[in-house]
Amino acid sequence: MHSHIKSSDTNTPLITLVGPPNSGKTTLYNYLSGKKSKTVNYPGSTVNYSVSKILSKHEVNADILDSPGIISLVPTSPDEKVSVDTLYEHPKYGNPDIVIVTVDASQLSRHLYLVKQLIDSNFNLIVVVTMIDILKRNNKDIDIIKLSSVLGCCVVKFDGRNGDGIKELLEKTRDKIMGLAKEEKISPIAKFKIDKDKLLLSYKHIEEIENDVIIDKVLGKNGRIDIASLNENLVVLNNRRPFVKPDEKTLKLDKIFLHRYWGLAIFFIVMSFTFTAIFWIAQPLMDWINGGFENLSDFSSGLLGDNLFSDLISGGLIPGLGSVLVFLPQILILFLILEMLEDSGYLARGAMLVDKPLSLIGLNGRSFVPMLSGFACAIPAAMAARTIANKKERFLTIFILPLMSCSARIPVYALLVAFLTPKDKPYLGGIFFTLIYLFSIASSLVVAAIVNKFRDRIVKEKEDSSFIIELPAYRKPKLTVNLRNAYKNAKEYIKKAGPVILILSFALWALTTFPNYNPNIPDSDKLPAEEVNSLKNSERLSGSYAAMMGKFIEPVMKPMGMDWRIGVSLVATFAAREVFVSSLALIFKVTDDDETNHNSLLTAMEEAKSDDTGQKLFTTSTTIGLVIFFVFAMQCLSTIAISKKETGGWKIPILQIVVFTSLAYVLTVIVVNGLKAMGVS
Amino acid sequence: MRRADELSIGERAVIKDVDNSHPSAHRILEIGFTPGQEIELLNCSVFNDPLAFAIRGTIIAIRKKEAHCIHI
Repeated sequence: MHSHIKSSDTNTPLITLVGPPNSGKTTLYNYLSGKKSKTVNYPGSTVNYSVSKILSKHEVNADILDSPGIISLVPTSPDEKVSVDTLYEHPKYGNPDIVIVTVDASQLSRHLYLVKQLIDSNFNLIVVVTMIDILKRNNKDIDIIKLSSVLGCCVVKFDGRNGDGIKELLEKTRDKIMGLAKEEKISPIAKFKIDKDKLLLSYKHIEEIENDVIIDKVLGKNGRIDIASLNENLVVLNNRRPFVKPDEKTLKLDKIFLHRYWGLAIFFIVMSFTFTAIFWIAQPLMDWINGGFENLSDFSSGLLGDNLFSDLISGGLIPGLGSVLVFLPQILILFLILEMLEDSGYLARGAMLVDKPLSLIGLNGRSFVPMLSGFACAIPAAMAARTIANKKERFLTIFILPLMSCSARIPVYALLVAFLTPKDKPYLGGIFFTLIYLFSIASSLVVAAIVNKFRDRIVKEKEDSSFIIELPAYRKPKLTVNLRNAYKNAKEYIKKAGPVILILSFALWALTTFPNYNPNIPDSDKLPAEEVNSLKNSERLSGSYAAMMGKFIEPVMKPMGMDWRIGVSLVATFAAREVFVSSLALIFKVTDDDETNHNSLLTAMEEAKSDDTGQKLFTTSTTIGLVIFFVFAMQCLSTIAISKKETGGWKIPILQIVVFTSLAYVLTVIVVNGLKAMGVS
Repeated sequence: MRRADELSIGERAVIKDVDNSHPSAHRILEIGFTPGQEIELLNCSVFNDPLAFAIRGTIIAIRKKEAHCIHI
């Protein structure tokens, strides 16, 4: 019935949800969207907004699209541009049939600005007024009917805490959809341009509307109406608007959170808590997952016996699944903390605190959130960098993201730290871990400062840097919503990274298994079965494709004090870092050991000896060297891909590969040989 | 003429104009720093920059450089 409607591939009407940041847009989206909400690619860029069918229980047959918050229809940053483009000319969906815009009732004068632009652009609009509870807390109320009549469009209330008002919204939406069938669709009027006079006029109009629809209960009750209206008249005469105080509680909390010393102390406490939570909470879970999969692998190889299929399952599939799931705990915890910080209102304050120091090295306060997300994964982090309007700052932020200690490195560091930690001093493990994190943060800042010197050569455009951010009122994070979003993010991540890791794991298994799958062991009938097995395994590996590759690159590995076996594992990590542990396990367990227990890899590493010199392969110096290598090396195909997409070219990803990988190699060689020269084994 | 970055913490002032030539001027206007509006400097960051202003019932942080284009 909607044959005249845009969509090329569907007749379902499209509703686009827009709104200023902190206007309750996402809460509304969560109420409306069904379980099958999916994040979609904006053609030419990456995941940015969500599209979903409206929940079937709402009985509205329409798709709803959620996009990043915007202040006006004149975008300044890439994320805002995507939102605005979605309204005007989405290549796949066309323009929306209905636009729902959220407006914070306590921020009416600011938020109506976008509404006015949308009305002026001829969009088929429903205005949803949120946060009326906050308005009421300040003894005010809003006259929705009046607002609707002065704006000349449909206005409904919505309470994000309990969903009140959703019924009316749905009713109006249904009416609008019915209307769509009857009339020709109106196309939006051309885009807005910067025009100060028009803007001021618009604000003047909005302020009049606000005076009309906001009801001040206190002034009414106290019988001070006359004085009030008198004052108001004076105000109007002076062309001056009365001062509205922000949320009292927020003002009080900000005295502490933004305090010169306390604020900084709290910032460091929050950050340390975030990172220690990753370590202390996620680490045991990761060990548990690792152990579980190792047991599963042993169990399946015992069950299936000694054949190619058994090897494929217990050597390829199970470790592969394990290495996909192993960083689920960390990703979940980090996303959850980020969600909670954002929801509470603290994240914007954190960005404000670090803006000055970051701006000194060519970054921006808005680089804070991407950098923090980088500790989970560089991919969502690179996308979060879109809120940075300035191209140089955005590119530099994306550039240093691979130096943030992402979750893929955790299993690697866990193994290496466990190897370095003396058995009688287990507490040192935590300290080593913290040191690695601090070292990677410090390195990223140093690299940013250095690369910043060449910024004009990398990005030609001259743009002014700016930092304008709303500090929203503090509120208690809603744990269920946070959990749901963290889960959604983590699931998205596993879906994206999972297949890649799994395929790599299979490839690695094949490379270490063939072509010498069934080596001939002389005198095998005279030896015990176990020994034959172990000899077979080691023969199989040393004749494998992986060994050939490893031996080919061995000259490069030698200066780092490493041999072809570590070389093979490192080569594999250039596709994805997390493969390191499983490939080491694959290579060292089969070459040196047939022991099967949790610590088998550590034992195998301790016993591994260099083929030429007979000296121990994993020493303190080479292990520290490996840590350094992992801090710097650009070993992730997905990061390269996202860098290319987000920066719109190969320049940044190629720079990342060259700079970080050579830095990793040179520093590792220096550290390993320096330590050896200093007498560290 | 004074500018918003010269306010001391807790001080209020009415915006007279926003300097058009500043690159962030349009965004500053859009976010609500319009002539006639009263603002209060609430906090400054640990490093004295950015500054947090109370405006239209909310708090907005902007850099000193940006506050400089707001005439009060």
